[in-house]
Amino acid sequence: MKGVPGMARAVVFFALLASLPSFNLAHWVLNLLVFTLIYAVMSSAWNLVGGFTGYPSLGHAAFFGVGAYAVALWFKHHAITSGYEPFVVLPMIGLFAAVLGIPIAAIAMRTRFDVFAIVTITLLFVAQTLAFNLHGLTGGAQGISITVAPFPPATFERPYYYVLVALLGLAMGITFLTMRSKLGLSLAAVRADEDKARGIGVRVTGVKLLVFAVSVGLTAMVGAVWAYYESFIYPQFAIDPLITIAIVLMTFLGGRGTLWGPVLGAGILEGAQQLFAYWLGGSQVYLIAYAAVFLVIMLLLPRGILPTIQDRIRRRRRRGTVNAVAVPPALPRAEVTVGGGAA
Amino acid sequence: MSPLLEVQDATKVFGGVRAVDGCSFTVQGGTVTALVGPNGSGKTTLFNLITGYLPPDRGQVRFRGRDITGLDAGRLYRHGLSRTFQQARVFPHLSVQENLVAAGGYSWRQLFTRRVGRADRERAGRLLEEFRLAPVADLLASELSYGQRKLLEFAAVLMSEPSLVLLDEPTAGVNPVLVETMERHIRERHAAGITFLIVEHDMGFVMRLCDPVIVLDRGKQIAAGPPADVQANQLVLDAYLGS
Repeated sequence: MKGVPGMARAVVFFALLASLPSFNLAHWVLNLLVFTLIYAVMSSAWNLVGGFTGYPSLGHAAFFGVGAYAVALWFKHHAITSGYEPFVVLPMIGLFAAVLGIPIAAIAMRTRFDVFAIVTITLLFVAQTLAFNLHGLTGGAQGISITVAPFPPATFERPYYYVLVALLGLAMGITFLTMRSKLGLSLAAVRADEDKARGIGVRVTGVKLLVFAVSVGLTAMVGAVWAYYESFIYPQFAIDPLITIAIVLMTFLGGRGTLWGPVLGAGILEGAQQLFAYWLGGSQVYLIAYAAVFLVIMLLLPRGILPTIQDRIRRRRRRGTVNAVAVPPALPRAEVTVGGGAA
Repeated sequence: MSPLLEVQDATKVFGGVRAVDGCSFTVQGGTVTALVGPNGSGKTTLFNLITGYLPPDRGQVRFRGRDITGLDAGRLYRHGLSRTFQQARVFPHLSVQENLVAAGGYSWRQLFTRRVGRADRERAGRLLEEFRLAPVADLLASELSYGQRKLLEFAAVLMSEPSLVLLDEPTAGVNPVLVETMERHIRERHAAGITFLIVEHDMGFVMRLCDPVIVLDRGKQIAAGPPADVQANQLVLDAYLGS
């Protein structure tokens, strides 16, 4: 019952996304959409770990960088002719990052909450330092370039756009299936009380590692698309604490642990940031406007947009049922009859 | 017949405190065994050593004749050794039904099946009926009273069809009517073949329900036997009242 309108919503949303480029939007609009999608996919991926599992990873940007450098390094030795080759290797990059993520998660996820956040942000800076200093591999501060794709200038953004829409579909599909399965139930138990969860047979370590691997795999694929889109990467942008902070804020804003929250948060924050930058120009005023949007929403909807709204609906419905049925009399009577039967 | 649970020379030291100090005892299958003792005598630490929450510094725990010392708590649960906590620990943001289903002890393959499938609903439904939680099955656990949470926690650990259940103060903080309810549920489950090991401070409850009673003091067993004998034991009186 609940799945039908949800499915319809998803179909409409993705149909709309897929049709947007055919409206001959200006390049800056498509560019904005590409970046919004980049953040939407990453926020959805982060939500698997930070939202469902309750582990606030600040190291995801390191895996974004892993994806970016992976694609750059691969195409240093392989030719790009049709322009689609980097998209073809995306699953391999995702798998590589996921496998890389498992031992990292196995160590980092022995800690919790704020300590986990510090451990993972340390990971981010370690990765950035490596990117700066492994000159032979990354080109250090000089950066590394990727062949510019031979796509026609008029529709240059489209292939990236469609690949990102597909990745968003993948991330949201994984999120949806997670929520609907016992995996999601296990994660909810871990998030609420990990020690208790362990004691009732939840495969705590296994599910944590699994979602971390999937999450960073998705993040790395986005990093790879971004690097190819930019065609030139520097360590400070490929492994950037601001990316981590942005995806965390977006997920919190829209509502962590929800399907649509991260996408909504990414849409609002990335859209607002780019629009303010466009309207208010090069001065830093746009950053103040950007922060103001965030503050206003957090003041009004402290748990994030979707959870706060869902809560209000739930409470209103509850009040409705309590008024409709007088609940108390049913309980004691049942107790007496069943108790009598047993005695 | 070998005992269901056997603790040999278990020791756990926290800094300068010997919380459990060379403790040995056995729990025979089919009993409701009580573990009592003054505050700080090591009861909860002992529970943690048995259920895999803490590794002992020394000693051995055997369950159904198998050495389980230091095994993971989740694995023990799936093999039929369940426990509850002193403070009723439920998942507040999950529904009452989901709290039960989460405790199903699933294999990896089952993790990718529906969150609450038909079989789960049936399995949880039986427990909800038994514990009279069916009317609140769809409420969030955070909306239950403390006593109901205690019942929910107890019901949830039965999802794995355990052979031994460790209850840590099942009546602490609940009203007298609920104490009776709890007692009845333990009796019913005991009659259905589950062995219990219960830490409890309510002596009336222990005397009515448990046999044998094991008494701990300063991390060691000081007495064990039928409730009446233990009650009259001079060592026990000294431990509680001071000699």
